[in-house]
Amino acid sequence: MRSNRIKMKARRSPPAAAIRDLSMPDATEKHLAQMESKYHGLLEAAPDAMVVVNQGGDIVLLNLQAEKQFGYRRDELLGQKVTNIIPEGFAERLIADDLRSAEDALAQQIGSGIELIGRRKDGGEFPIELMLSPLESAEGILVTAAIRDISARKTDEKHLAQMESKYRGLLEAAPDAMVVVNQSGDIVLLNLQAEKQFGYRRDELLGQKVTNIIPVGFAERLIADDLRSAEDASAQQIETGIELIGRRKDGDEFPIEIMLSPLESAEGTLVTAAIRNISVRKAAEMHLAQMQGKYRGLLEAAPDAMVVVSQGGDIVLLNLQAEKQFGYRRDELLGQKVTNIIPVGFAERLIADDLRSTEDALAQQIGTGIELTGLRKDGGEFPIEIMLSPLESAEGTLVTAAIRNISVRKAAEMHLAQMEGRYRGLLEAAPDAMVVVNQSGEIVLLNVQAEKQFGYRRDELLGQQVTNIIPVGFAERLIADDLRSAEDASAQQIGAGIELIACRKDGSEFPIELMLSPLRNSEGILVTAAIRDISVRKKAAVVLLQKVEELNRSNEELGQFAYLASHDLQEPLRMVASYTQLLSRRYKGKLDADADEFIAFAVDGASRMQRLIHDLLAYSRVGTKGKDLIETSSEDALQQALVNLRGAIEESGALVTHDPLPAVLADEMQLIQLFQNLIGNAIKYQSPGVPRVHISAARASGKKWNFSVKDNGLGIDPQYFERIFGMFQRLHKRDEFAGTGIGLAICKKIVERHGGRIWVESQPGEGSTFRFALAGR
Amino acid sequence: MFREVLLVEDSPGDVRLTREAFRDVNTSVHLHVATDGVEAMAFLRREGAYVHAPRPDFILLDLNLPKMDGREVLARIKKDDSLKTIPTVILTTSEAEADVANSYRLQANCYLNKPVRFDAFESLVKSINDFWLTKVKLPPQAQSG
Amino acid sequence: MPMEVLLIEDSLGDVRLTQEAFRDANTYIHLHVATNGVAAMAFLRREGVHSQAPRPDFIVLDLNLPKMDGREVLAHINEDYDLKTIPTIILTTSEAEADILKSYQLQANCYLNKPVRLDAFETIVKSINHFWMTMAKLPTQAISE
Repeated sequence: MRSNRIKMKARRSPPAAAIRDLSMPDATEKHLAQMESKYHGLLEAAPDAMVVVNQGGDIVLLNLQAEKQFGYRRDELLGQKVTNIIPEGFAERLIADDLRSAEDALAQQIGSGIELIGRRKDGGEFPIELMLSPLESAEGILVTAAIRDISARKTDEKHLAQMESKYRGLLEAAPDAMVVVNQSGDIVLLNLQAEKQFGYRRDELLGQKVTNIIPVGFAERLIADDLRSAEDASAQQIETGIELIGRRKDGDEFPIEIMLSPLESAEGTLVTAAIRNISVRKAAEMHLAQMQGKYRGLLEAAPDAMVVVSQGGDIVLLNLQAEKQFGYRRDELLGQKVTNIIPVGFAERLIADDLRSTEDALAQQIGTGIELTGLRKDGGEFPIEIMLSPLESAEGTLVTAAIRNISVRKAAEMHLAQMEGRYRGLLEAAPDAMVVVNQSGEIVLLNVQAEKQFGYRRDELLGQQVTNIIPVGFAERLIADDLRSAEDASAQQIGAGIELIACRKDGSEFPIELMLSPLRNSEGILVTAAIRDISVRKKAAVVLLQKVEELNRSNEELGQFAYLASHDLQEPLRMVASYTQLLSRRYKGKLDADADEFIAFAVDGASRMQRLIHDLLAYSRVGTKGKDLIETSSEDALQQALVNLRGAIEESGALVTHDPLPAVLADEMQLIQLFQNLIGNAIKYQSPGVPRVHISAARASGKKWNFSVKDNGLGIDPQYFERIFGMFQRLHKRDEFAGTGIGLAICKKIVERHGGRIWVESQPGEGSTFRFALAGR
Repeated sequence: MFREVLLVEDSPGDVRLTREAFRDVNTSVHLHVATDGVEAMAFLRREGAYVHAPRPDFILLDLNLPKMDGREVLARIKKDDSLKTIPTVILTTSEAEADVANSYRLQANCYLNKPVRFDAFESLVKSINDFWLTKVKLPPQAQSG
Repeated sequence: MPMEVLLIEDSLGDVRLTQEAFRDANTYIHLHVATNGVAAMAFLRREGVHSQAPRPDFIVLDLNLPKMDGREVLAHINEDYDLKTIPTIILTTSEAEADILKSYQLQANCYLNKPVRLDAFETIVKSINHFWMTMAKLPTQAISE
């Protein structure tokens, strides 16, 4: 189209010449020329390449940028098909077809950038973006296309696409939810985790405001204001985790931490947010806070003052007791150095030095009570015991100190020390040697008597083993073994005197009696031993024993003597008695009356002598032939006595009765003898009438029994109550009653041998009751 | 019937009393006397002077004898098969339980205490005569060995 | 102190008579009866039902007994160190000299014939009582009066 070209050339110098087809009418041409010139100006000024195309696809106008961009001279393009420079994608859009009108066809493109390929004169192709807009003209609708070379962008885009795909890969792989947001707060990118975390599908979030998922706290940060640029705004957040609240699709909220990082892109600075669901952590933190709350509760409830101290020695926590104890209000102590209340001894322990770590430093104190001095607000000091324990926290290792006021205990200890001093005084004053021994058997204390008794100086014995002075029998008693504790071991000896042998410094030995008593003190159980030298007592005991032996021997000799005497006496006596009797028998009446009388006296004398000796023998036998006292049936003994007395009982017609009689400790033979003598007497010394004898027994104090032999005989005058029990004592003449008078003496000896006593109750003419006491079981 | 009684007793007084007592109750008693243990054994074994001694029907033996005491005589009698069947009764003043027990252990036929009083003594001899020399069946004289 | 007497006698009639005679004589006798030798030995040895039996102070033994006769019992007693000290008297109807001799050989303390007539029987028993229970010293009994 040569004519057009020519026209184009001409238009170069004067502004705003409209494109004219020579075939157009002049009036509109003028308007159009005016419009065109205005438009033309705009066109030239536009930064982008501008090309105006008619519906036939011919280029009717273009600007300098277009010339440059495509590499053509204006006149080379005017009147040409736009397909020369945009082969595809443009011209087609111009065509009205059956389905839509031209306007419609265009309308669909208006406003949106269309990416196409442009072709230069030299044939080189480059990516363009088209922005179309309609232009009414006399010739109909023209389309103005702003053509932007988007090579760079495309490269960028490609790069970005590559980056994005790589990035997308990373994004997808990220464990956290990742969301990329542009500065308007739109979500331009998100990963699978984000979908899951927020419960959305990707396409539901892309292009949406980030405030949909993070209502508060994120979008604001993106805003650049007067004070700071976008970069600055996001820069302030970069790297630090920001705690916010995330909102799911279902409306559920959950705590999140976001980490922002910038992302440069063609669209400007994007912000990548890594979004971490910190529900668990938040829960833990809440739990911890609760714990801390509880701990705080415990702290408050503790009876002791409790103070929590940081490694710097600052008081980070304290309880009510601590406030009271030190006389401070809480706020006066929080944050203060612990040395304010415990000047010395605590803070030092917190310090880790080259030699040991904090844990070690603390570890050395954990569990043990440390005695220190506490300082009150009013300046008053008081003794304390602290117990340390570590406390892990987010701030590092803290130390909890339980602080106990031990003023009272200290006073008690001092009192005890005083007591010990006083005790020491008592020890010195004691008449016996006193030695205090600890459970290891060491002598911890002794008195001056002990020094004297053992011949040592005090310092020679203190700290020494007690076995040095009491080789055997004491130290063993101190030992607690598996079977008994220390208390038991010494308790078994407490109170009882133990006889042992002691050893002096010079090596000499002497017998002692030990009396132990326990003594408790802070060191444990000590044993106080009172040591008594019993040499004298022992000797006396030996002497006593000797004397007893002598006595026994002489008793035995006496018994033997009595026996032999009477036995040997018996024989000649028997001869005298027997022959005088034979004489009497054989020669009575055969000799003169004098002879008869003489013989009669001789016989009588001999007989009496025999009886005396017999009784003496019987008396001596009570002691020498006495048997051990064993449980004996007194009733059986009585029966035997009655058998033995059968003759006398029958002869006298006596009535002997008895009550049930108990078992007693007795020598059976002697018991029989006892009954026999008493009952025999009862029958013998009868008054006229039937002799009645009754034997009974009644319980007496202790385990004794009081026996009674009651008769209805002659009775005894009270003045003779003692005498009748004497040897050979008689109250009657020989011709009145037979008997040597030893019967009751024998009874007395028997009863006394049995550890009892015999006595009589009687009145002349009213019978007698002989009573004796014997021990029962 | 005659009874040969050997009385082994060292006290002449007691011998006479015994003789008198027996005489009063049983005149058929021939009382032989040995005054010590040796003599007693010789009599029993018919040795020496006693070659013609009769074998006793009954022996009354005191324990306290000179030379050989009655305990030994008893032991020997009871060990001797030919002598052991002769009832040997201890008649002694000893009341010692040990003597009683020992005598029975040595198989004495009986143990009697010599009473102190003469009338009691007479009474005892009477009982001995009554029981041993009258009622009891004594072993037959004719024996082997 | 009752006296424990073991009567080894199979004739219950004789047992009864003996009991009566002893009772009249001495109320202080505990009479134990064995009617045959086996029971007698069991009693003496304190076997079986007799484990708590007292030791007899005195034994009266008939020779003619069922199961084990008195001769055998006597032999057993004589062999037994502990039992042989118990005074054992034979009271039997047998007058056979062989029995008498044998009994003394086996150290029976004495041998008595059981009389046929009642009064004689009583007399014998009473004399046994008189001599052995009142006059003689028995091994388990010591002194007294």
